[in-house]
Amino acid sequence: MSLANKSVFELIVDKHTTNLHEGFRIWSEEKDSAPPALGDYRWTDDLILATWYQAAHGKPPESGLEYKTGRSGGGFDVLDFNFLPESKWLAADVDIDLTLPLNRRGDHLEKISIPLPIYGGGMSYGSVSEQVMLSRARNAAHWGTFTSTGEGGYPKSLTEYKDNVITQVATGMFGVREETIRNARIVEFKYAQGAKPGLGGHLLGDKATQTVSEIRESVPWVSLFSPFPFHSVYSVEDHRKHVDWIKQTNPRALVSVKVSTPTDVDMVAVGSYFAGAHIVHLDGAYGGTGAAPEIAKKNIAMPIEFAIPKVHKYLVSEEIRDRVTVMASGGIRTAYDIAKAIALGADGAVIGTSELVAMGCTRCSNCERGRGCPFGLTTTDPLLSQFVQPDWGAARLTNLYTSYAGQLRDILRRLGLRNIGELRGRPDLLRYVG
Amino acid sequence: MGQREIIEKMLAARRGLRPDWDWQAGRDDAAEGGCGVIGMASSEQVAAKHMLQALKQMRNRGNGKGGGIAAVGLVPREFGVSKETLENDYLIAVAYMDPKVRAKVEKDFIRSIYVVDHVHEQKHMKDYRKVAELEVRPPDVVIYFVRIKPKVLKDFMAEHDMMNVEKRRVEDEIVYQNTYKLNTTFYQSTGEKQAFVLSHGKNLLVLKMVGYGDDVIEYYQIENMHAHVWIGHHRYPTKGRVWHPGGAHPFIGLNEALVHNGDFANHSSISEYLAQRNIYPLFLTDTEVAVQVFDLLHRTYNYPLEYVIEALAPTTERDFHMLPQEKQRVYEMLQTTHMHCSPDGPWFFLIAQSDTHAAGGPVYRLTGITDTSMLRPQVFAYQERTLDDGHKVAIGFAASEKQGIDAALESLAETDKRFWPRADKFWNARGGSHTDGGAFLFSVKYDSKKPALAVTDKFGHEVKSPVQMPAFTPGSRRARGLSVSIPDMPAAGLFKWMQGQLPNWNYGEALAFISGLGEAADEPKKRRHVIDMLTLLMDRRYPSGQMRRSSLLTLVDACFADVTELIRKRPSPDYVYHKAGVALPKPNGKKQILVLDASGYTAQDETSLARELQRLYEAGFTQFMLVKCHGHRFIGNGFAENSKGVRIDVYGSPGDYLASGADGMEIHVHNNGQDQLAQIMKTGKLVVHGDVGQTFMYGAKGGEAYILGNAAGRPLINAVGKPRVVINGTCLDYLAESFMAGDPLNGGGFVVLNGMAFDDNNELVSLETPYPGSNLFSLASGGAIYVRDPRQHVAEDQLNGGRFVEMTDADWALIEPYLEENARLFGISIDRLLTVDGETRQAEEVYRKIRPSEVRALQAEEAWIHKATARRGVKR
Repeated sequence: MSLANKSVFELIVDKHTTNLHEGFRIWSEEKDSAPPALGDYRWTDDLILATWYQAAHGKPPESGLEYKTGRSGGGFDVLDFNFLPESKWLAADVDIDLTLPLNRRGDHLEKISIPLPIYGGGMSYGSVSEQVMLSRARNAAHWGTFTSTGEGGYPKSLTEYKDNVITQVATGMFGVREETIRNARIVEFKYAQGAKPGLGGHLLGDKATQTVSEIRESVPWVSLFSPFPFHSVYSVEDHRKHVDWIKQTNPRALVSVKVSTPTDVDMVAVGSYFAGAHIVHLDGAYGGTGAAPEIAKKNIAMPIEFAIPKVHKYLVSEEIRDRVTVMASGGIRTAYDIAKAIALGADGAVIGTSELVAMGCTRCSNCERGRGCPFGLTTTDPLLSQFVQPDWGAARLTNLYTSYAGQLRDILRRLGLRNIGELRGRPDLLRYVG
Repeated sequence: MGQREIIEKMLAARRGLRPDWDWQAGRDDAAEGGCGVIGMASSEQVAAKHMLQALKQMRNRGNGKGGGIAAVGLVPREFGVSKETLENDYLIAVAYMDPKVRAKVEKDFIRSIYVVDHVHEQKHMKDYRKVAELEVRPPDVVIYFVRIKPKVLKDFMAEHDMMNVEKRRVEDEIVYQNTYKLNTTFYQSTGEKQAFVLSHGKNLLVLKMVGYGDDVIEYYQIENMHAHVWIGHHRYPTKGRVWHPGGAHPFIGLNEALVHNGDFANHSSISEYLAQRNIYPLFLTDTEVAVQVFDLLHRTYNYPLEYVIEALAPTTERDFHMLPQEKQRVYEMLQTTHMHCSPDGPWFFLIAQSDTHAAGGPVYRLTGITDTSMLRPQVFAYQERTLDDGHKVAIGFAASEKQGIDAALESLAETDKRFWPRADKFWNARGGSHTDGGAFLFSVKYDSKKPALAVTDKFGHEVKSPVQMPAFTPGSRRARGLSVSIPDMPAAGLFKWMQGQLPNWNYGEALAFISGLGEAADEPKKRRHVIDMLTLLMDRRYPSGQMRRSSLLTLVDACFADVTELIRKRPSPDYVYHKAGVALPKPNGKKQILVLDASGYTAQDETSLARELQRLYEAGFTQFMLVKCHGHRFIGNGFAENSKGVRIDVYGSPGDYLASGADGMEIHVHNNGQDQLAQIMKTGKLVVHGDVGQTFMYGAKGGEAYILGNAAGRPLINAVGKPRVVINGTCLDYLAESFMAGDPLNGGGFVVLNGMAFDDNNELVSLETPYPGSNLFSLASGGAIYVRDPRQHVAEDQLNGGRFVEMTDADWALIEPYLEENARLFGISIDRLLTVDGETRQAEEVYRKIRPSEVRALQAEEAWIHKATARRGVKR
């Protein structure tokens, strides 16, 4: 590295970036012990390191790091697949299809399909840096899938990727404008977040920098809250009107409705379908960055593992299961989680945290205060955010997706299934291992 | 026997009703969605057909999975009974899904209990499929006019030790229990849903089905059935593949039928509350539960309506403390005792009630109640006139949307010349407030044989008709044979001239003047002038001498319709006409105004008015006059960035979301606006010559808005950037919650709240307080409110997150240009605003400025989370 022609600022960024990248590599590849105090029961040290490994290599680690489940003692962590005996596995040369159609309504709108049953969840400009958003968008474009703006507006740099960016309309309506609605092939209504249902959204003043507040058109350094709920939507008829509004502005877009998992989540899903949703996005309790209060994450919404089958069964009984795509999120950490969510009844998964982990998140929970993330992810600090270069970030995510796709194919192969749709709603293929 | 004892005996008498199935099962099915509701009450008996258009226009609030109507105060001969029979007999309307069970129902539950005076078979269309989209055959309805057999009454009294209880209360209870048993036998427990009771009160009829509310009127062919009170409902159940008419609204207590828009979070706890009193809902919707609570409190507990309303929608926060001491004491007891039956969540009830227990004879009543937080749309309206013989013809409305009321009134005016299409008064209820209690009651009572309609709020305060001037009667002597010479001057000058003349004019002269204007429009060059003048007549408030404003405006509306018709027939270079179903016209120059007839377009979707506007804009039109709007939504949406130069003038009653997303355009609404106007508006200008509904400018980024009247709940919530708004009236509550609009003195946004209103003579007056709500500027972190409050009525405790700061010259310099524009638009001069008690004051003495507190508004929230996590030892 040449030191010439670099400012002190750039040198600092270089130094830290190099060290960080080296750290991600060494800890996931070379050390046989994890760093102290890394992870928790859900996101164990092994899972974090395994995700780093996948982000570097495009495949799961073979070193013995556990990359499938955590140690929470519940949910996905106590489910495993009833794989067929090896003799019955599909041959390695059998083509296995992971394509997921997102529009099943049978209407005249675009029949969007994604080549693997995953897209990126909403993380706003402000909660994460522009570099992180760009990394995610480039990866989505590479795969032909999607990422979501979250509710912090639509940075100009994302416009290049607009075919792969979902515009989110959330309760604060920050940065929502007709242009950004018209950009999108999919518009997502965020009613609630599983990590903190009933709390709306929040961005503390420390992160509401000049640029962040510019795009949200708010006052710099003042905390921003999105209310709960949409104050214009207090019933399903209001919701339909709300959807009609967006359709008025962009009649071509598919509609995704993101809801958390209250006890009547099944009813909400059916209501959303009848009000015009193409995608019902269930956000369970375990998602959220460190910005979501622990007390909310641990106590409010229903775990996604319960919500999925509840919704799936209800949609089946209403005879509309094949007319709507159900996406699950909120604590989906691994390819195995994705497959389990699908076996429980989802069509696919939306991931957020695991993408951040791929880019170096350690789950230290220092997301919202001060300058934000020391690794440059959930920060708006102009220096810190440079630790993530969009090309590097996109490559990490592309590798992670490659690894996930490989594992999903492998899972299907070992279950004797040829496409991902066959896995949906097959809890019989799961077993309890608690 | 004391009340308490009676109540205990009545509740005890229901012990036998406890069902033998698991009554708690299936609660999950209880979720109710949104709905569209309308109710009307009149001193006259009004035909059902006048509800038709209103319900048709509000179909987008339902989904065809349930509709119904209720009628109270019926006409005896329409059922083939005598007046006495109608008044004294219970009217038991049974819905037979399976006609085969009729004999059994009649044997076991009608003839065994009642003396049947008359059986009326409700007629209906032969083929239900003739009603569009009807998927399920509606039930056959048989109406029995009955009295309770003396022996049944005697036995019941003896069995339940109620010998000393008033006879009619016992009779009501017998009817109630008998219906419950009928329903459990033929609806709930058979699993086959063969029959159920639609209604069983005196002089009260409910009809409902799987369909839309208007389908009910058409299918049962009741267009010409008359009643004093009507309510109608479209249901929008969230779920359900299979629907039954039993799940449709209205639901009944005993003497009342209730329709509801909204849903409760505490449905199961209310069910529990009722179960403790031996009341078990059968149809698994929150609406049924609501009406059971109403019936329990009113009929069984014998509470006056005020207390019933208080138990349902409690008075809270500052409003509670504004109540008189004695009321506080009673209300506190009510709230404590009945907390568990207070529906929690968004709701708006309309109740049609046949209050046969009222002292002094039966009362037929429409009541509209909103929840304390005012989370559902609601609007009330009233029109009255005194006929030459002294009889007062009056009608009151309560509905989800103003356009529904307009449609009903228009339909009525077409066939009955005692009514006219414009209501005298529109208003909203302030939920759980000390001012009106969030409820209005329209009661029809026969005084000296003539029916009269009284309008009161929850506290019994009479809502006075704003006018005493006579209404216009077409073709009457006073209306004919006059001519007025119209001076040749620009609209503003002519308007001023006319204001000078009005006090001396009668309808004849006014009509001559207006007709003269209309005729002038023959000449294409004069059209702009004529339309400007007619628009001023609609928009401005001015003393109208011996004439009633709503009547005068009806004449103006008619002339305006003639002028647009003229443009249709003979377009000119200035004005072209377009309507649904014909090819898009091509613009002829930027200035050409397109008159767009809204009547043929839907309220939303591809065939909507809003989509057509987009297409016309893309075709090159920029100047629009929308006429005959009735609830059309999304006007001006989807024009995307930089629509500067576009101007849309809206006539009629536009729908929700108007101007949302506007970025540059200018929209003038020459009427009241509805809900969700100007959401996320960015730049441009919105002018509303009336009131605006809920969540006005939610999430707005900027733009200018001028509102002549009031805003409903939550205006400017979450607005950021630089919106600049003048509201001349006030707002229900929650103004500028989470306002984040920077520093107004450095390019940020603000709201000027003038707290003014027009009195009965259309003179501008200060409201008692510029802001009656408990929450102003809550959680706000930017922007400012400039409130006209010379008497300092707004108190610190109304500000949750704001504080009063000094009003400086710089502030006045900032808002003055907006007040100048406000004066230009509405004729509300700055001088008038600065005049207090007849004296002109300094701006600093009249306006007060509210800014966010120094303390971070969100600290309390953060502190809570911090404390909670620390207590649990969670590492942060």
